Amino acid sequence: MISRKPHVIGKPFPLIEAQKKLTGVTCYAGDEKIVPDMLHARILFSERPSARFWLSNVDAVRNHKGVAALLTGQDLATRMGQTILDREMLAVEQVYFAGQPLAIIAAETPEIAEEALALIQVTYEDLPAVLDIEQAIAPGSPQVHPDFYDYPGADALHADPAHNIAHSLTFSRGDVEQGFAAADVILERSYTAAHLQHAPMETHGGVAQRQPDGSVTMWMHVQAPFLQRKIIAKALHMDPAKVRIITGCVGGSFGGKVFVSVEGLLAAIALQTKGRPVRLLLTREEEFKGVFTAPAMRAHVKMGATKDGRLTAIQASYDWDVGASVDAALFHLQSVALAGTGPYAIPNADIRTSAIYTNLLPAAPLRGLGVSQVHWAIEQHIDELAEILNLNPITLRQWNLVKGGDMLFPSFIMHANGLQSCGLQVIDAIHWHPDASSHHDDTPEPDTPKKRIGQGMANGWSPIILSEECGSSISIHFDKENLCNIIVDGVDIGQGLYAFVTQLASFELNIPVEWITVEPTDTANFAPDWEATYHNLLWSTGHALLKATAKMKRQILAYVSEVWEEPISNLDIVDGEVISYASRRRYPLLELLEQNAENENNAPVFSVTSVYRPPNTDGSIESLLQSFASTAYAAEVQVDEKTGGVTILQLAAAADVGHALNPESVRAQIKGGMIQSVSFTLLEEMIFENGIPQSHNFRDYPIATTADMPQQLHPIVVEVPQQSGPYGARDLSHHVQVGAAPAIANAIYRAVGVRIRDLPITAQRIYDALQAKRAEEA
Amino acid sequence: MKHEIQFIINGHARSLTVESQQTLLEVLREDLGLTSVKHGCSTGECGACSVLLDGEVVNSCMVLAVEAANTEILTAEGLATDEGLHPLQKSFTDHHGVQCGYCASGMLISAKALLNRTSRPHEEEIREALVGNLCRCGAYADIIKSIQVASRARR
Repeated sequence: MISRKPHVIGKPFPLIEAQKKLTGVTCYAGDEKIVPDMLHARILFSERPSARFWLSNVDAVRNHKGVAALLTGQDLATRMGQTILDREMLAVEQVYFAGQPLAIIAAETPEIAEEALALIQVTYEDLPAVLDIEQAIAPGSPQVHPDFYDYPGADALHADPAHNIAHSLTFSRGDVEQGFAAADVILERSYTAAHLQHAPMETHGGVAQRQPDGSVTMWMHVQAPFLQRKIIAKALHMDPAKVRIITGCVGGSFGGKVFVSVEGLLAAIALQTKGRPVRLLLTREEEFKGVFTAPAMRAHVKMGATKDGRLTAIQASYDWDVGASVDAALFHLQSVALAGTGPYAIPNADIRTSAIYTNLLPAAPLRGLGVSQVHWAIEQHIDELAEILNLNPITLRQWNLVKGGDMLFPSFIMHANGLQSCGLQVIDAIHWHPDASSHHDDTPEPDTPKKRIGQGMANGWSPIILSEECGSSISIHFDKENLCNIIVDGVDIGQGLYAFVTQLASFELNIPVEWITVEPTDTANFAPDWEATYHNLLWSTGHALLKATAKMKRQILAYVSEVWEEPISNLDIVDGEVISYASRRRYPLLELLEQNAENENNAPVFSVTSVYRPPNTDGSIESLLQSFASTAYAAEVQVDEKTGGVTILQLAAAADVGHALNPESVRAQIKGGMIQSVSFTLLEEMIFENGIPQSHNFRDYPIATTADMPQQLHPIVVEVPQQSGPYGARDLSHHVQVGAAPAIANAIYRAVGVRIRDLPITAQRIYDALQAKRAEEA
Repeated sequence: MKHEIQFIINGHARSLTVESQQTLLEVLREDLGLTSVKHGCSTGECGACSVLLDGEVVNSCMVLAVEAANTEILTAEGLATDEGLHPLQKSFTDHHGVQCGYCASGMLISAKALLNRTSRPHEEEIREALVGNLCRCGAYADIIKSIQVASRARR
């Protein structure tokens, strides 16, 4: 358990917030402010993907008994976004996707809200709808956003709205034509990946209340409250200081609670209810149809290699169906562009990634940031190339992996990394057979379909991007009442943020962990409109905290130095006491705080705020690149030839975290990422029919349960220190999933000889592929 | 229609007035403030609202409050005693059985029911017992380990 001594970085540390979560004390969004005069909000969502529409009966509903406020697009015509304002908060005259909010109501009870909302009649006049990437980019296709260039921010994007291309990023090195000319083998393939859902167990929601000064306070548990404050304030034409977001623990986000979906509407309706708080809690069905998806991918990869296994060129395109808004998906594209070659030093490369508008639910980043899907293509491609070249796929990978010192961009030389180590450790963990194919168990009848076993692996890398917005703010207050109270700008979404902050502060200030409390984020605490969040949480929080603890320590020592009339250089804090190495005096910090409390007039305030900001960038994607994180996966699967069903017997994942500051917590995150990856790989697909979401619940959209767990999990922590990272550590969040899907696909191929290039790998897809293979052989 | 009902909740007898259509989930959360019981799907698929009803795990979103009249109900709030945390709560804390924590109360309730039936469950039995409790963070492996450790601690 928690030691009374200062914590040592790198030693196991339980998640201190866990106990509150396990006793029902932790407050989630739905637990906020259950007060008697609270109103209940409901949203009316569009049922058509592309249409002009008219609402009738609106005034009757407004005057309906128990209805406190109602907003439609006629009352609130505004657009929202961070970079490009391509999404209306409420549809005004036209809907761009099914699930787009048309109205929001606040009423005395949830029942009245629902009843009253149902009285609004919506008349649609369907317009041509763009339902997938092929249709979107085909000549003569309808344009999803004909008024694209009227949207604020549109000029910042590399767009071709006439062909529904919202934004494209490219990068090139060398000369791919020459590279392909030098190749003995060229392989070209297409791959796809389905739309996914973040599907946090806690649906979106919160409580909002107008304050007497006209500001709005929101108790809303989102992953990026400072970003949301900025987006909401901009959309509602308010001073950001007048939008206050108070967060707490988040019941899962996975990227789905970073950008604003329905949160702005909650602020807008709360401004209409004369100060009565309004609660909005989405149902599971609304969570599926009315928030975000993760974008579907269509990729095309062409790779060349010499007979002796040298990769000479890659040309790859990754197109993403981002639905009717690209704003939340821009970060996703940056990650994809930087990861686009896979973790290989290929001298000639031409990578393009595009976000394509369709009339579907808008996309937002999902854990993995598209890098998982990039590897879905690349890592199957490498396996197939190896087979054609008659090389061991591991050897081919090891020969071509990026190594420390390789120049990837003129401005970026690859650092020491765990790519090779990750790859070798995962295959070791599952007892890799050099020729694992045709290795099957003993089914009695020789002619009946068998259950066949196969092994596969994949390497992975994932860019860690630090834009200027990836800063972090931290405050520390040290007083008798609260001892060491730390205010962070990051949010605990289950990754163990509070434990990390406690560990680090205890270590740096050399005080017991019991003295430290970490406050949930409140945007009132800090001015910036950015924060440490998903991909840079450890990096930026860590750096800000190192600055803040150093400042705090100086403040305390300076005070004691004056009291003792001793130079500050003699002093240190050890085990919660200020000591002098020269005079051997000791001043327990608790005593110091006690005396201060009694002596209010002369008491110093021990209070610091520190801000970390990443170095400036020149705007190019490579200048955003801080480092690459490495991973590898290996899988052993059993495939039922009769049904196409897959059982994962073993799954190994290795992640290079630089330095595991809390090793058990790192392993827990890896294991969680493995299970979620299995879910994404084998089970999940957000289905649309004519643009209408068909996934409404966990029956239509199954996620992994304990029954879907691999029989054996091998989480492996690799530690190649990250130069300039806090304690040599790097973030783990996303890359933990990179490589899972292709490792499983490669294993399936070795088991039964069929390649599945469309995610998810359903039993039906394997069955169909096996049928096709048999037909071809016969 | 209103109904007067009584039940024993976390060891305490309670009388309250409920509407016919109110679910047990709603009454536990909104009327009794037992917010460890989570709303996840309202269709009995996710297990976040699991409670013990006369010793059996139920999804409280699928039970009408009136149906719970004269029963004994246990929620995660009722697990800890004056002596401290329940062994399951302790082992979930120590062995990383919690990430975002939204499923945690439901997991504890299903685990408690399992340990009431079987004092030393095998991994397979634990997997089976938790199949109705979804964890999107994918913390299943550590949840299972936490339950195994707790079952050993109880002996």
